[in-house]
Parts: sequence; C-alpha cells; structure tokens
Amino acid sequence: MISIIARKEFLEMTRDGRFRWASVIVSVLLLAALLLGWQHQNDVRRQHEQARRHTRQDWLTQGRKNPHSAAHYGVYAFKPTMPLSWVDRGVDPWVGVASWLEAHHQNDFQYRQAQDSTAVQRFGELTGATVLQLLLPLVIVLLTFGAFSDERERGTLRQLLSLGLRRPDLALGKALGVAGALGFLIVPATLAGVLALALSEQNGALLADGGRILGMTSSYLLYFVAFLGVSLAVSAKAPSSRAALLTLLAFWIVNGLVAPRAAADLARLVYPAPSAFEFANKMDAAMKHGIHGDETPEQRAAALREEVLRRYNVSRLEDLPVDFGGIRLQAGEEHANTIFDHFYSDLWTTFRRQETVHRTLAAFAPVLAVRSLSMGFAGTDFTQHTHFAKAAEEYRREIQRLMNGDLAEHGKTVQGPYLQDEALWSKVPEFTYEAPDAGWVLSHQASSLVLLAAWAAAAAAAAWRAAATQRVD
Amino acid sequence: MLAPILRNEWRLLRADRTLHLVAALLAILVAYGVYNGSAWVRFQSNALDSAAGEEAGRLAAMKTAIADVEAGRSNPPAFADPRSPSAAGRSLGTRWASMPPTPLAALAIGQSDLYPYYFRVSTQSRLSFAQNDEIEHPVHLLSGRFDLAFVVLFLYPLVILGLSYNMISAEKESGTLAVTLSQPIALRTLAFGKILTRFLLVALLGVALPAAGVLLSGADLSAEGAGMRLLLWIAVVVAYGAFWFAVAALVNAAGASSPANAIALAGLWLLFVVLTPAIVNGGAKLLHPVPSRVEMIQAMRDAGRQAAAQRSELLAAYLEDHPEFTVSRDGAMADFATIGIVTAQATERAMQPVLERFEKQLDAQQALVDRYRFLSPAILAQAALNDIAGTGVHRYRHFQQLADAFHERWRQYFIPRVMKREVLAPPDVDQFPAWTFEEESLAAVLSRTAASLAGLIVLSVLCFAGAAVALNRYRVAG
Repeated sequence: MISIIARKEFLEMTRDGRFRWASVIVSVLLLAALLLGWQHQNDVRRQHEQARRHTRQDWLTQGRKNPHSAAHYGVYAFKPTMPLSWVDRGVDPWVGVASWLEAHHQNDFQYRQAQDSTAVQRFGELTGATVLQLLLPLVIVLLTFGAFSDERERGTLRQLLSLGLRRPDLALGKALGVAGALGFLIVPATLAGVLALALSEQNGALLADGGRILGMTSSYLLYFVAFLGVSLAVSAKAPSSRAALLTLLAFWIVNGLVAPRAAADLARLVYPAPSAFEFANKMDAAMKHGIHGDETPEQRAAALREEVLRRYNVSRLEDLPVDFGGIRLQAGEEHANTIFDHFYSDLWTTFRRQETVHRTLAAFAPVLAVRSLSMGFAGTDFTQHTHFAKAAEEYRREIQRLMNGDLAEHGKTVQGPYLQDEALWSKVPEFTYEAPDAGWVLSHQASSLVLLAAWAAAAAAAAWRAAATQRVD
Repeated sequence: MLAPILRNEWRLLRADRTLHLVAALLAILVAYGVYNGSAWVRFQSNALDSAAGEEAGRLAAMKTAIADVEAGRSNPPAFADPRSPSAAGRSLGTRWASMPPTPLAALAIGQSDLYPYYFRVSTQSRLSFAQNDEIEHPVHLLSGRFDLAFVVLFLYPLVILGLSYNMISAEKESGTLAVTLSQPIALRTLAFGKILTRFLLVALLGVALPAAGVLLSGADLSAEGAGMRLLLWIAVVVAYGAFWFAVAALVNAAGASSPANAIALAGLWLLFVVLTPAIVNGGAKLLHPVPSRVEMIQAMRDAGRQAAAQRSELLAAYLEDHPEFTVSRDGAMADFATIGIVTAQATERAMQPVLERFEKQLDAQQALVDRYRFLSPAILAQAALNDIAGTGVHRYRHFQQLADAFHERWRQYFIPRVMKREVLAPPDVDQFPAWTFEEESLAAVLSRTAASLAGLIVLSVLCFAGAAVALNRYRVAG
C-alpha cells in the first residue's frame, strides 16, 4: 500500500509543471555552483602548490647570512584547499590565505579573499552549500505544503481513508514519494560529485575522503528529512493549504536567512571578542611584563644570565663554551611562545563559546547545525583553520629552535660575523600539513550531528503524529 | 470617490489581527537590528579611542625618553634610540590613521566588519601595516550581520508582500469585487484606492524604520551631513518599498488566485533578493577574476630579494638622485636605516604593477556590479544604504586614498631626516605629521545614491504602469 501511495505521489509530482520548473532551476544552479566551486578549487590548489615550492626554494637559496637573519626572512605558510571545499567553501573566503612565519611573531593569516570582492558578496555566494542548505528545502516546501491539505480541500482524503488505509502509511507513502522526486535532483549531483573526486588529480582522494563524503552526505540527508517531516506535519495540521504554505515559508525564511545572522550578533553580544587593537596591546604588554604583569625584561635577562652561567659552571659570559646570543634569542622565543599560547587560546576559546551560541540556536533552526557539519566535513570550518594555523605555528617554532640552536652552538667558533648557508637551511624540514580525518571532524561536530538527528527524528515523529490525528474535512 | 475607498480600506487593514502581529514582530526585529548596529559602532569608537589614547601616551613617553637620553640618564642601543628619526618613523613615533563611523553607521554595518578602519602608518611599505583586520569569528562574516539594513533589504519586502499579495484577488474570490463594481466606480479607481492606502502605510513604515533606527541608536543628528543622510536613507527605503508594492500590484492585476499570487511573489522575492545577487557576484568573479594574493606574496618576496641583491647599486643610484644626502654629518657611508629605506622603495616600485592589477580587476568587478545592479532592487538598495551609512566600499576607498597621502607625507618628513642623520629633540615630536580624517564630500554620496534611487523609482513606475495596463483586462468575475 505504501509503495502505491509513494508511486502515485512521485508520478503526480514529476508530471507537475511546478516541480519540473523548480527542479530544472535548482539543478542548473546546483551544477553551476559545483562547477564554479570545482574550477575555483583547482585554481587555488595549483597556486598553492606552486607557492609552496617557491617559498621552500626561497628559503633554501637565501644565501649566506646569520641564522637569525634567516629566521627573520622566514617562510610563508599557505592555507591548503581541502578536497570537499568545492561543495562548501565555508569560512575560507573570510580568513586570510597565508601567514608569514618569521622570528619573534605569531602572525595572523592575511589577505581575506572576501576583501577582494564587491559588496554583493554579502548577499551570499552561489555555492553547492547554498543550494543544498537554502534552495533545496524551499523545493521540499513547495512540493509538500499541500500533501494533506490539498487532499482534504478536494475531499479525496476522506475517500482515501474510507478504503481502510492506515493514516501513518499515507504519511510514509507521501514522504517516500517526495523523497523519490527529490532523489532525481540530488542523486545525479552527488554521483557527479563523487565521480569528479574519483577523476581528480589527487590519487586516492576518493578513498582518503570517503569518511568526509559519507559524513557530509548523511548530514544533508538528515537535514532534508527534517524539512520533509516539518512540511508534512504542517500540511496535515494547517487549516488550509494557504496557511500551510505561509507557515512553511516563514519557517524557511527564519531558518535560512534570519537565524544565521541573529546567531552571529547574539554570539557577539554574549561572548564579546577583543578588538584587534586591544588584543595586540595586551599581548605587547605581556611580552614586556609577563602575563601577570609582575616582571621586567631586565629581570628576565638577569635570571637567564644567571641560569646559563650556573649551567655551564662559569662566572663570566665570555667563558661560556656556547654563544649567549643564540641562547638569549631562543629564551626570548620561548617567553613569547607562552604568551602567544595564552592569548590565542583565550581568543579561540571565545570563538568556541560563540559557536555554542550558534549550536544552541540550531535547536530552532536546523540550518545552523547542517552548516556546521557541512563546513566541518568539507574541511572549511574555523576549527580546521585553527588546526592548520597551529601546525604552521609549530613549524615556525621549529625553525626558530634550529636557527637559534645553531647560533648558540657554533656562533662562538668564528671571529667576526657568524654566517651560515644552505647546509643549515636544508636542515629545516619542508613544511607538510596533514588534514585531520573524518573521525576527528566527527568528534568536534558531535553535538551538531546529535542536534540534526534529533531534528530529523522529531520532525518525522511530528509528521507521523500529525498525519494520524489530522482532521478529515 | 477615492476618499471612501481609502477610509474603507484603512478600516479593513486596521481590523486585521495579523497586521498587528506583523507590526509588533517588525518592531522587535528593528530594535534588535539597531541594537546590534549601535553595539558595533560603539565597539569601533572604543577601539579608535584606545588607539588615540595609546598614541598620545606613546608620543609623550617618547619626549621624556629623548630628554632622558639627552641628559645622559639612559643609553639605548642605536636601533631603539628615541632620538633617531628612523626609529621614530618606523615604530616609536608612528600615528594611527583612522576612519570614524558616520552618524548613521549604526543603521548599516555594510562592509565595515570586513575592511580595516584604523592602522598605524609608518615609513615602511603600506603592505606592512594596512592589513589591520578587526578580530571577528569568520562564521559571522560569512553569515552577515543582523542590522537595520538587513531588516530593510530582506524582511521589509516580505511585510509589504504579505500586506498586498491578495489585495484584489481576495475580493474577487469572496465575491465582493463584483458587488462593489456594480456601484458607479471603475476598477482602476478601486485598485488605485487600495494601492494608495497600502502605499501610504508602506511609506509610513519607510519613514518610521530609519527614524526609529536613528532614535534607538542615539545618532547625533546635529552632526554635519547627518540630516541629509537620514533623508536619503528614508528616500531609498520608501523607493525600495514602492518597488515591492508595485510588483504586488502587477501580480494582482495579472488576475490569478490568491495562493498563486503568494507563490509568484515569493518566487520573485527569492529571485531578486537571493538569486540575482548571488549570480551577479558569481558572474563578476568569473568574468573579472582578481589575481591571487598567494601569487602577490610571491611577487613581494621576489621583489624584496631582487632589491636586497642590488642594494649597493640602488644606494648609489639613490644618492646620485639625492646628492644632498651624500655627505652626512660625520661623512660616513649610509648606514643600516638608509639601506633599508632604499631597498623598501625599490621593492615598492616593483610591486606597483602587481598591486595595480588587483585594483584594476576589482574596479572591473565593481563596474559590472554597477551595471547589473538594476537587475535587482536589492542590490540597488544595498549599495545605496551602505553608501549613505558610510560603510560602503566607496568610503573605504576614500579612507585608503587619504591614508596613502598621509603615508607619503610621513615619509617625506622622516626619510630626509634619516638620510641626513638628524637627531630629534623633544619639541620635534609635536611637529610630526598629524592624521586628520576628512569626510568624503556629501555631493559624491548624493550623486552615487541618486543613480540607485533613480533605478528604484524607474523599476517601480514600470511595474505600476504594467499593473495599470493589466487591470484593463482584469476579469472581475468567473
């Protein structure tokens, strides 16, 4: 019986001009968005690959100089593109593309792509994620708002139920019919996406990112189930088709357009982040006077001197077997590192707390949950940005350790300026970054996934209940 | 004849419970939007105040430090000597270039959360200091902010459409249209009366929204140009509302049922507010791609290396151009600071064409958006509202130009002093070039806004005209 209803719904929908038009438009937009994303990702990947080689070459061929000069020259860390960023670019356009890894400073990522765009960008970009999060739910709403209310208004609901049909079966059949029609939209796009990944230049990309693909697909499926359930429930409960449509459109607008913005501002109000000025200023003060403001640079210098003299059991710096300059520089780095860790971990904690506000609001707007999951599995959320930023910072610190260590060890062996060459530069390993796997993403996204699953379950239950208890006429 | 229609319509609208609900909801949204905008403006003003305070404190400390060195009370290393014009121009004596928010900034956050509105100008390259991005969770930048402009651009049209999607079709469906028209009254007069009543309501909203915004944000209307900006804001909101209203009239005049009207209008809203902007943005990027910043960074590194490799030639060439610097006070050859300045200038010269490519492509994108903004009233209104609130791209360009000129002045003050190895005294600190932000001329804002406003009006008139024509063929019954 259920399959008969599903077939009827499916047939009716595919013969309906509204559905045909909506699906043609959404399919074209989805394909265009994915194509644009694909092309963009390949461009960026090529540029980054080239830049990565270039910056390494620059580092190796910087010529003879003091190791500390080399540390100041530094290298650049370029943010890599993640394999699924062509579906969801996430925060990528809104964080910088590169960070300069130099001595003494943990630099922020600079040059946000969005700054090189016009203000129209603020309306939202046409990406796969936009189509999936915003437009497909609208198609679901348009397809289902009349599922029960239309039959009731035409009197066919009474006829149907007089056949002895169980009401929940009717709901399930209708849901399956709509799902089948939607499948026409989503399955080709998904297949095309997986195929494109399989054919991509990176070998084994499909295998390596299987978990991410699975995670993203499941997230969107849960999201669609949630929308389908809400639509059917409203259609069953609303006094008329018109009321069902207006209610669902209102839900769609609040969910897709109002909630993300409301969440952004609410999060800022509840957990304010410092201004760039305040952040830099406090960090500068801590550099001089320590995190607690109870020390001076002179005290630190004296303490270091004493400690080094004691360690080498000498009474004058001149008698040290090592170069004190190198030791002092490394001590300065380590002092600065504790301060960077303190301030950046504070800032990132604030950002994480802001995300809890987004998640809390996801209880009212499922798009917030699916957006977080989609960006997470695409590798373009802020958590993975900081994962890369931390790896880059770790690499910067390693360069400092190697340069200062060499200076301390050999700086005293020559008369006059101490210079080094490629022999030392090549001891710095090339910067490699391994993106975390799907399990890692899942562990950071667990609450969003639970919320979205709860949405899907609650919506399905609501549809079930509403269908079972709806008025017949 | 019109007066009774207006009275009757007004009575009907007033009796509608949902209208009261919508009005209350709108009031809450407006309050939330304005609160967010004002909080953001306060945040910016606080940051600028702290920066100004830091600058004053630093310059005062610099004077004391110079006096201390002069009196022999301290003996800093050469690179940190407060008397050295090189240290002063590079870090110790630098000044903040800043762009204060306009009186109406709280109404539209616009691009102000994306572009730096203050940075410290030094003798170094602009690329080294102008990227002072404000700290913000990138997801917030991605979502956009909930300000009054958002309420106006996205939600205000929905209120208008909700008010008018069935203004004629409902009467036809309930059968009252035929009855009314059996009186000696033309359909066009009746429709005009309905349209006029609602338009007055919409216009009232159009005035009330910005006025409430100004009141709630505590904007200073006595500030220069504030009144003018408010009037422009109101004009844009009213014209934008008129457009949506005209679209509703046109769809009603086409004669379909109320649900069909609702779906058609929702579709048009989606088309104009969501899809067209996204497509115009995508098209601009596809047709005029901005070069990659990753490649720019590489070019910068290459130029820096090139300049460093040729520094002795560069120095010789520079001294040939500026013979007055060749013989310095102690006759010694140029030192570290001089070489730094010369190589930095060579790097910048090499980078000039690279940076110009960015500007050229971005200008081309903007030109494309400007051309196609007439396809979507939402783009027209967004550009105008940002512009009037002083948070649009034009005011940022203006700020950049002022900052560039100031940077030039700053260098012209310090570089000769570095070259001549002058020694600064405490009174010199007060003579450093000072930053002042000169507000963009209101005439420029007016002329840009006028184009958008004219676009909105033309689109509205076209839709109204279309509605008037279609009403001639309207089937009153059946």
